[in-house]
Amino acid sequence: MEKFKTISSTNQKAKELAKKGAGPWTVIMAEEQKAGYGKEKVFWFSPKGGLYFSVILPKSQIEDLQTLTILAAFIVAKTIKDNFSLEPLIKLPNDVLINQMKVAGVLTENIIGKEIKASVMGIGLNTNIDAFPKELENIATSLKMELGKEVDNEKILEQILRGLKEQLKTISQ
Amino acid sequence: MKNNMQTEIKIKDKTYRIDIAEMEEDLLRVKVNNRNYFFTKNKSGELISVDPNLYAAGAVSEENGIIYEALAEKEIKSPIAGVISSVDVKKGSKVKSGQKVATLIAMKMENEIIAETAGIIKEVRVKEKQFVNSGEILITLE
Repeated sequence: MEKFKTISSTNQKAKELAKKGAGPWTVIMAEEQKAGYGKEKVFWFSPKGGLYFSVILPKSQIEDLQTLTILAAFIVAKTIKDNFSLEPLIKLPNDVLINQMKVAGVLTENIIGKEIKASVMGIGLNTNIDAFPKELENIATSLKMELGKEVDNEKILEQILRGLKEQLKTISQ
Repeated sequence: MKNNMQTEIKIKDKTYRIDIAEMEEDLLRVKVNNRNYFFTKNKSGELISVDPNLYAAGAVSEENGIIYEALAEKEIKSPIAGVISSVDVKKGSKVKSGQKVATLIAMKMENEIIAETAGIIKEVRVKEKQFVNSGEILITLE
């Protein structure tokens, strides 16, 4: 696990490390991202308080990586549901919503030459965020805003990682 | 490394240390006083020197021994069907091995397509937002 106070993007860092040979399940976590992004490089608001991490995935078939991406959204939703009295919904394939507002996103990126060289999965979860900027306030929410209290980022991270490992084992067998 | 041979030759009062190594079946490295020169076989089996431009572009590099890639794949193909979301090189750009050349969105994931060999871009056959099939040639290298 590599922890950063500030980073441009955990996925970017994970790709860099994967290229340098970092092993599977290396986790890159940051307290805040200055240039966090989601699908098609759309900016992901990542202030302090949220949970932002990327995982270097074991070399897998591309179909399994696709399945895992979809399952990751389920794992995030299930983690929220198991720990809090909230009803998350999945917006396939990459987002998790609460009350129709985005609370988490998943982005899997592969580096491919003649074959898959590396795969990383980034998850951004709006946990302890107090407020969103105007352009996002009607489309994004956080667990803290929904619950009225702070949540334990480390515990949530641990549960999501465990879920990913279990699911990948199941689908790649 | 398969075979190698070292020798010294003297021309007038200058001594040259020569190390000839067969790196792969069709690749010969000739080291003259610690400077590397590479030779390969052409289609008719004649020994030809490796283009110095490829050498400069990093196609032949020393890292964990010698990695030789110069005469490998000249076509970068789409590994899967999807939509090109960015093209990161232009005709004439020099690329290194491992450099990103395009991004392909496929199967709900973003895929960085990298050049496996160094070279100079000869042709870019795709544009942003274009749908490509698996195996389609995206970019060719000189």
